[in-house]
Amino acid sequence: MTVFRYAFLAAIAAITLGSVIPLRAQGVDQQMLLHPPANSWPSYHGDYSGRRHSHLQQITPQNVKNLALAWVFQTNQTASIKSSPLLVDGILYFTVPENVWAVDARSGHQIWHYHHPTHEGDHIGNRGVGMYKQYLYFLLPDAHLVCLNAKDGTVRWTVQVADVTKGYWTTMSPLVVGNHVLIGVSGDLDNLTGYIRSVDPETGATQWQWDSTPAAGTPNQTTGGMTWMPGTYDPELNLVYWGTGNPTPVLNGSTRPGDNPNTCSIVALNPDTGRLVWSFQVSPHDTHDWDAVEIPVLVDGDFHGHPKKMLMQTSRNGYFFVLDRTNGQNLLTVPYGPVNWSLGINKQGHPIPNPAKEPAPDGRLIAPDEGGLTNYRSPSFDTTTGLFLVDAHPSWSIYFAKPADGVYGWAGADYDVWGKGVLEAIDYQTGKVRWSHQLGPGDSGSGVLTTDSGLTFTGDAMGNFLALDSTNGKTLWHAGSGSEIVSSPITYELDGHQYVLTSSGGVLFAWALPDE
Amino acid sequence: MPADPAKMTLSNSTPQWTLLFVAWLLGSVFCTAQAAAPNSQAAGGNAARGAVSKSYPPDRVEKGKSLFRQNCSFCHGRDATGGESGPDLTRSRLVTEDVDGDKIAAVVRNGRPEKGMPPFNLADDEISSLVAFIHTQQNDAIAAAGRPGGRKGVDVSDLQTGNVEAGRKYFNGAGGCASCHSPTGNLAGLASRYQGLELEEQMLYPKNAKSKVTVTLASGQTITGTLVYQDEFTVGLIDSSGTYRSWRTRDVRYNIYAPVNAHVTLFGKYTDDDIHNLMAYLQTLR
Repeated sequence: MTVFRYAFLAAIAAITLGSVIPLRAQGVDQQMLLHPPANSWPSYHGDYSGRRHSHLQQITPQNVKNLALAWVFQTNQTASIKSSPLLVDGILYFTVPENVWAVDARSGHQIWHYHHPTHEGDHIGNRGVGMYKQYLYFLLPDAHLVCLNAKDGTVRWTVQVADVTKGYWTTMSPLVVGNHVLIGVSGDLDNLTGYIRSVDPETGATQWQWDSTPAAGTPNQTTGGMTWMPGTYDPELNLVYWGTGNPTPVLNGSTRPGDNPNTCSIVALNPDTGRLVWSFQVSPHDTHDWDAVEIPVLVDGDFHGHPKKMLMQTSRNGYFFVLDRTNGQNLLTVPYGPVNWSLGINKQGHPIPNPAKEPAPDGRLIAPDEGGLTNYRSPSFDTTTGLFLVDAHPSWSIYFAKPADGVYGWAGADYDVWGKGVLEAIDYQTGKVRWSHQLGPGDSGSGVLTTDSGLTFTGDAMGNFLALDSTNGKTLWHAGSGSEIVSSPITYELDGHQYVLTSSGGVLFAWALPDE
Repeated sequence: MPADPAKMTLSNSTPQWTLLFVAWLLGSVFCTAQAAAPNSQAAGGNAARGAVSKSYPPDRVEKGKSLFRQNCSFCHGRDATGGESGPDLTRSRLVTEDVDGDKIAAVVRNGRPEKGMPPFNLADDEISSLVAFIHTQQNDAIAAAGRPGGRKGVDVSDLQTGNVEAGRKYFNGAGGCASCHSPTGNLAGLASRYQGLELEEQMLYPKNAKSKVTVTLASGQTITGTLVYQDEFTVGLIDSSGTYRSWRTRDVRYNIYAPVNAHVTLFGKYTDDDIHNLMAYLQTLR
């Protein structure tokens, strides 16, 4: 007992010393990505699992009522912050399209600002930078990847990763795995092939590319399957997990008969070769724009009495999926809100699309709406409660398509009818909602963060930041932010203080407990 | 800051029969008020038939096209005929009524936060280019409509697949519509005010419908008004004198009367035929 206790204390001391007292600025290395210290958030999800769950415990259900502003950073941009900031060596890096800021995590003051005006490509959003060693990797709307020196924001190199003139653009936060910078592309306004590309972090040279769909113009084959969110990574299996987007043409499936493999799918790739190891399609033959790019969350634990390496996704199409991530076999498929477009679930766990619910000239009432039952903002898997928390959007819409709409790009029209936001805490063993918390009309655009201390951070549809009790969803703290929340919170510890970072509109907020 | 009635939840303390009665009582008042104020942003059935506006210099249109692709196409579609969440601008009443940006510019600059459209920080000449592109797209779309099957998007003629009698039966029976609405009362002349997609959207969920709230203070005093703001922490109303008043939700009790929620309960019950039949019936209410 005593020996155990000393060992335990020594381990705590080692972790503490190792995590909060960096000796010098070192940037990001493999070790940091595999085992992020408490004083870092070195990648989009904070770690490779995509759980967005922190072991920090300073801010608790008991003291969160005292949470106060530490500082605010104004981007002075009309674009909303959709990125997750990275925190490395006490400096935060975050983005909106064409812009990167380096900000002191202690004070919130700007260290440098990179702005590269682009006159092509969709400026719909940017999810943030990736980082490796002392360099940042940033995607521009015109589908160029820029490598920036983290010290001063100067450009090290720029490479084109897709052809903007064909209709591609880029928004995602590059994922660094080993010696690979993994990037994905956007572009479903045209009939284009989606792909994941691995880029050399030193030179920008392409290492490999995996295409989700055949080349445009291949008869009876789909295009699409865009890759616009960063995936997750299991270092033991050496597999990268990535969600792919909808097939194109989007609302008219007549020229792409069959399931349209690898669109609206979760794929497992070898990061060293780009080889596809398995693929699980969450929406066969999608005609509703339901990308399956939502975070593929990695969880190790019990599933009905058996230890499993699992992958969980609350998908845009309205279903919660649990897969065995070693082989892509389905463990559970359950709707987590109103869903009316399928005929049921087949033996392999795939929803069976109802042909009568494809868009039609006189309209079809569909749940969920096109934005889906959830979208790109992160869910969280709370390892202390075993609950999967997602910002859900129960919703209805009408979908139209007729011959005059053609078979290129959008190829139809759809209109949202009604929706609301609800935070749902899902029991992953059954898919049952353990508790829910109403978030207001329309849609809440906030992601979710959970902590070991029993807190859930998210936001509502009116722009309130919320801290909830993870065991029952009760509100413990809130602050009105004054704008829409379209990002996912992060947390870290610096100088012995736990910070929670949230954003709303073009403003970044840092929250902490007041000094004693 | 009009509240979106979608969020309004019925108070847990109010018996169901009371709500139904109030819904019936208020249905005529509020639904009529709502129906009399057509939403100018919705893709109006007649909008696309408006007169073709003037033509713009090709270089300006081209610049507008580039800006549209960078800033607008994600939601409104590459050719402005609608995309993710944004309406078909070639069928927009606001675009039809716009002259050289006198209406479009304000929407671009200010956004429509209540509908999820952000503001855009663009220079005057950039907005002029956008306006040139949007009008040109609308002109082209109207011209294309002259060819058989040439018009993209939702036409009034697309929404004529229902059966009037079946719709009337649904209205008076399974749909429960008649418990709040009357074809000679609050829906009289409905089809003269709305057509096509705009009518169908109003039918499925009237987004601008107002709800009532009664707030009971600790003193026992009650204040009733039109609900204009509600979240977990604050409830706000406009009272009979037109004054905005709000309270912390923890300090008061309040009951919300949102007859519009009856529309939400129908979503899970409708068949597509029900909707088309109901449309057929409502289109007879001229």
